[in-house]
Amino acid sequence: MGDMIKGNDAIAEAAVRAGVQLYAGYPITPSTEVMEYLSWRMPELGRTFIQAESELAGINMVLGFAFCGKRALTASSGPGISLKQEGISYISKYRLPCVVLNVVRYGNGLGSLRSGQSDYFRDTRGGGNGDYRCIVLAPSSVQESVDLMYLAFDLAERYRIVTEVMSESALGQMMEPCEFPPMQELTVQDWALDGKYTHERRVAFMENYVTTAHENNARYEEIKEKEQRYEAVGLEDAEYVFVSYGIPGRVTHGVVNELRARGEKVGLIRPITLWPFPEKAFEQVNPNVKGFITVELNDYGQMVDDVALSVKKKLRTDIPVYCLPYVFEMVKRKDVFRDFEKIRQGQWKEVY
Amino acid sequence: MKELVFAGFGGQGILTAGVVLSQIVLYKGWKATWLPSYGPSMRGGTANCTVKYDEKYIYIPGMEEPDLLLAMNMPSFQKFQGVVKPGGTIITNSDLVDSKGAREDVTIVEVPCLSIAEELKNPRGANIIMVGAIARVMEDFTMQEAIDGMNDMFRKKGKEKFEAQNTIALERGYRLLDK
Repeated sequence: MGDMIKGNDAIAEAAVRAGVQLYAGYPITPSTEVMEYLSWRMPELGRTFIQAESELAGINMVLGFAFCGKRALTASSGPGISLKQEGISYISKYRLPCVVLNVVRYGNGLGSLRSGQSDYFRDTRGGGNGDYRCIVLAPSSVQESVDLMYLAFDLAERYRIVTEVMSESALGQMMEPCEFPPMQELTVQDWALDGKYTHERRVAFMENYVTTAHENNARYEEIKEKEQRYEAVGLEDAEYVFVSYGIPGRVTHGVVNELRARGEKVGLIRPITLWPFPEKAFEQVNPNVKGFITVELNDYGQMVDDVALSVKKKLRTDIPVYCLPYVFEMVKRKDVFRDFEKIRQGQWKEVY
Repeated sequence: MKELVFAGFGGQGILTAGVVLSQIVLYKGWKATWLPSYGPSMRGGTANCTVKYDEKYIYIPGMEEPDLLLAMNMPSFQKFQGVVKPGGTIITNSDLVDSKGAREDVTIVEVPCLSIAEELKNPRGANIIMVGAIARVMEDFTMQEAIDGMNDMFRKKGKEKFEAQNTIALERGYRLLDK
């Protein structure tokens, strides 16, 4: 095991190990340490670090770099990622790969500095205008942040898709020991623009949108089929299944372990990919399950919608889907115990 | 699983003390999490961090019910004494904290760490003295384990020139509580 390291520093180092050749972005709490780290680490390795004049400039530098077939990263927090949506939509339009890190902070507008999961809807639905998807990976520990950042670049290139790592304030700021993967060779994709007209020229507004739509659909279906990731506990005999991701997912895992140790039949699905949502996990659930419960760090629940859709698709039943939203900061173990008891007593209204 | 809260003024080395204790834990081959308080704060206000450690994976890194509170100043003592687990311990910086009227179901350990640091001619070592005291109170670490874990951390950071001073400070804190 390695030494104690801050989540933001660790995830920045993981991007370096994965072979990122350009970072461009604009600082915002609680993601700023990622930039601070890369501001010395990238030049040390002869790679490019740019503190752009704005989020928009940063994401468009990433777009340009992605056209050159090299690994590019930008990072921000909720409000900054909103500003980047125009660029993310364009990167998706051109089917370019890149990695976006969102160290989520709670709230609407400028939000707050507190940890939250309020960006789920935006980030799992694409975020900008148009019809596109981004792969979204949600770590729950510093080690998993490192592992998923490393994976993110591979997924982005394999499917030529924007891949987001969705960290959160608490995960970026906390320290834990972790191990780093080996340094990857720097690569250039064979489809890269090289300034010599090697590839067929494509002009905006002249592509066949119908063909593109069919191609994208096939690509998204393939991702849904192959890339669902999750951690599951006790689904076979569960009467209630908790669904929770990120740090709340980790806390819920602890709660589920404690309940199971007492002989309670509860299970857990901790989504690691938020898109594609891990519907396959729901196939393993006890057919006599009494309800699903999401534990989320936002005002009224967002992922609960995807859980309800997955229950409909995979279980074909009308059992209740509840949400325990805890607004911001850290989900407390005792609150989950208390509210789970209310659900069992019939004192908590289901969402679906 | 053990839970510790380190709290004091910004600048008292609170967050560093938490990291040093965490590294001592790792040096022993166990696992640790370190979570700082975060968000808008005021100069002269309180800083704190929660450290949890165990031989196994720690699922809940947040503050729940600490076994031990380190209170380096009065506001921290007042703010956090209520959350300490019944039967737990509060280590106070008795140069700044008046613990009269404290809860009766916790053990109060008074350590005049500023005076001791002054005496050791190491005024910035007050937090390390406290790490020594904490390592002793937790009963999970020998003095040598604590010293080795701490020195290993500072060596990796290229700060080994403070090693002798740090060792003296940690040892002093650990031995203060010898029975």
